[in-house]
Amino acid sequence: MNFAIVLRRLGLSLLGFAPFMLTPLVVAALHGEVRLFRPFIDAGAIVALAGLLAWFAARKAAGAMRLREGFLFITLFWCVLSLAATLPLLFTGALHLPFVSAFFEAVSGLTGTGATVITGLDALPRAILWYRAQLQWLGGFAVAVIALAALPVLNVGGMQLYRGDPLNPTRQDRILPRARDIARAFIIVYLLLTMACASAYWFAGMQPFDAIAHALTTVSTGGFSTHDSNLAWFQNDAVEMVAIFFMLAGGISFAVHLFALRRLDPGIYWKHAETRLFIVLVLWMSLLAAAYLLSHHHTASVFDVTLNAVFQVVSIMTTSGFRTEHYADWPGFLPVLLIFIGIMGACAGSAGGGMKVFRVALVWLQGLRELRLLVHPASEAPVKFAGRLANASVVEAVWGFFAAYTLLYTLLMLLFMSSGLDQVSAFSAVAATLNNLGPGLGEVASNFAAVPVAAKWVGIIAMILGRVEIFVVAVLFTAEFWRH
Amino acid sequence: MNFAAVQRVFGVLLMAFSLTMLPPAAVSLLYRDGEATSFLASFLLLAIGGVALWWPVHREHRDLRRRDGALIVALFWIVLGLAGALPLLLNEGIEMSFTDAAFEAVSGLTTTGATVIIGLDTLPRSILYYRHQLQWLGGMGIVVLAVAVLPLLGVGGMQLYRAETPGPSKDTKLTPRLAETAKTLWVIYAALTVACIVAYRLAGMHWFDAIGHGFSTISIGGFSTHDLNIGYFDDVLIEMVAVAFMFIGGINFALHFQAMRHGRVMAYWQDPEFRAYLFGLIALASFVSLYLLARDYYADVGTSVRQAVFHAVAIMTTSGFASDDYAAWPGMLPVLLMLSSFIGACAYSTGGGMKVIRWLLLARQGARELKRLLHPHAQFATRMGGRAVPEKIVRAVWGFFSVYVMVFALLMILTMALGLDQVTAFSAVAACLNNLGPGLGEVTSNYATVPAAAKWVLMTAMLLGRLEIFTLLILFTPAFWRK
Repeated sequence: MNFAIVLRRLGLSLLGFAPFMLTPLVVAALHGEVRLFRPFIDAGAIVALAGLLAWFAARKAAGAMRLREGFLFITLFWCVLSLAATLPLLFTGALHLPFVSAFFEAVSGLTGTGATVITGLDALPRAILWYRAQLQWLGGFAVAVIALAALPVLNVGGMQLYRGDPLNPTRQDRILPRARDIARAFIIVYLLLTMACASAYWFAGMQPFDAIAHALTTVSTGGFSTHDSNLAWFQNDAVEMVAIFFMLAGGISFAVHLFALRRLDPGIYWKHAETRLFIVLVLWMSLLAAAYLLSHHHTASVFDVTLNAVFQVVSIMTTSGFRTEHYADWPGFLPVLLIFIGIMGACAGSAGGGMKVFRVALVWLQGLRELRLLVHPASEAPVKFAGRLANASVVEAVWGFFAAYTLLYTLLMLLFMSSGLDQVSAFSAVAATLNNLGPGLGEVASNFAAVPVAAKWVGIIAMILGRVEIFVVAVLFTAEFWRH
Repeated sequence: MNFAAVQRVFGVLLMAFSLTMLPPAAVSLLYRDGEATSFLASFLLLAIGGVALWWPVHREHRDLRRRDGALIVALFWIVLGLAGALPLLLNEGIEMSFTDAAFEAVSGLTTTGATVIIGLDTLPRSILYYRHQLQWLGGMGIVVLAVAVLPLLGVGGMQLYRAETPGPSKDTKLTPRLAETAKTLWVIYAALTVACIVAYRLAGMHWFDAIGHGFSTISIGGFSTHDLNIGYFDDVLIEMVAVAFMFIGGINFALHFQAMRHGRVMAYWQDPEFRAYLFGLIALASFVSLYLLARDYYADVGTSVRQAVFHAVAIMTTSGFASDDYAAWPGMLPVLLMLSSFIGACAYSTGGGMKVIRWLLLARQGARELKRLLHPHAQFATRMGGRAVPEKIVRAVWGFFSVYVMVFALLMILTMALGLDQVTAFSAVAACLNNLGPGLGEVTSNYATVPAAAKWVLMTAMLLGRLEIFTLLILFTPAFWRK
């Protein structure tokens, strides 16, 4: 185990993160929020120092990062950066946040969850609002890069299906380009999308600050807003439509975006199996939700109800978590159906969370195959998805992921209930955190402010586990990992 | 697909089933509760139906094949379950809609134990007896049919090797050994039932209650002759008898077979599934006890342990007996218990759930996935009982688990769409799919308030659970019916 390499990378990550503690200073200056200077400067200094020390201690580290280092690094990346991100929130006296709440907010920001423990957002200093939004934006980018640069190599939950060059998906090499190259390519897409989104929001009627802040959290499928009532605050159809479009963009693989951009071919989205399935499911679920809602709300206009339905479905399936009303208030089975959709989640290689569409597709296809095998035991036709063969190792990894996910879900639900939440709230709290979704039902429909401290800790763990796709952390707990 | 052979077997089954209408008729005459006519009428109708099916094909002697077996197993529970509603519909002691009668009958035959009847204590004796008999027959159906037939089909990995599996070899045809094995299993089942009845009697139950509860304990069914279930007796001894026989009923009958046929009592301890089953129950009971104690729910340690042990065993084995209102227990206990029913009892027992052995395999398969992350190019085998598990079975178990979960989610959504609230839907589907019986929320004591459409969905869940999902789903694939 080459700890030095991991330490050096962590140091570099922290150093890379530190400048982003300073960008809120610009916002603070613009809005005359002088009192916010200290928290950010202090936090930035500490993070930079920590990064420098770590890098310095490990500067002589040699060798490449291999499997074990990869698992350890990814886990520590999220944990350490989340802790670092906590500092400004902790230092800002005006927020009155105890450590666990500040940590929760930071994790929720960085993992793109979007569940907040803060009430009274509308009155918060702009610098803080900017900082939260920025966290989600950074986190969303990190997710996409890690997903396509690291996870396929680490074979996490069947991600080896996405082996090959994400910059050139027709090649299925075993050698991946370096994370740096992927990041460099993705950042262009990400920036373009963010700017387009901000402009669109502004055209739709948002003030410049809101437009940018929401663009940051829309493209990253984060869900943080500058208002307590989230996007409902705007009461603006155009805003909602912009949100729908860019949430979808955030939920689609960045590699697909890149490919479509390079070829200037929007048809790429339809040709890519996972994206196609994602879009088709969004359409079907929206249809179902809209139809059910219309049958219950005879007085409302068809357009309003449909827009609302599409918005909620997209928001939850991309695991953004924006809301124009509390989906918890929807009639009948819709809230639970939406939770299941959120469990399915977005596409692999996007900023979204959940199990990922390709895994659900594979589980479904494999299930059908098992059924066929009962009738014709001799037929050994393997499963194909996205033109790639899902060989035995992929198939079993996906199943393993599905099982681990389900069991973790029930365990977390029991833990949430133990900490005081009722069954309905607990069930949705897991969905909200493990899928990096945001809002739940019951007590956690608007925010996590009122939940017990123990529940907040469970939520933090769930958010990180969801982001690292479970197995990355799980493997750290095996004896095998630490043996030479 | 040898429809003629299937029809012949089915005719015989129906005729045999019609005969089971006679004991309740006798009970009715014994207690003079006036219901004898409904049972005799049912007997006639079913007998005629059976003969009508059997006669045209009674000369059919070709062997049954695998697919025929699947069809028979599925039809056994669907058709006999619905046929079992007949006496309940015809009787005058209680007014039941067709939905309710079907629900009660299917719940009985699948040994689920969910009831729509309120006021059990005042029902005619023959009706009470009939319900329990249904469960006993259902348990026997599992033990004989499922043990003999399902392994051939390889459902959900159940063609697991055993040192000396009772039953046919892995041919495509059902061999004559089936009859012999079935007979032995039936004898074991009957012997255990008698022992249970006697034990209940010695513990203080009257004969009627003893017989009824004996039937529903060994079959891991959960029906009682009282609304308060086992709680009615408020007797530690009775509860312990129940615990003992629920535990026994939940053990792989192949192990009972080996113990009886070859005197191999050590076979129990040597079986990994049995060990996991035992430890699982102990662990669950311990955790529940400690939790109850920590929350000061009961006045003293004795009661906490007593209630914890009883419900841990009753719910995890999917019997569904209750000695207290466990749905009111604090914190996460009710949900935890519901979730434990997904584990269920051992394979080839009368219990429900996914079966302990599948969970054992899942745990090992999961551990293998973690190992593979660290050594992507190495070949690892999943091992059980000192042998490597074939990849075919590994995949079948994975597939079973994911389909089970997805079916659960789908049924939960469906029942919610039909009117159940989230907590009720969650527990009702879990309770029926796992053949447990009682749930939480609206279905803690009975299913009387559940809308009719939802009852049909739940009946489907009971059948899916009993048939281990795939056996039922397979009937819906076109390939099954093709040559």
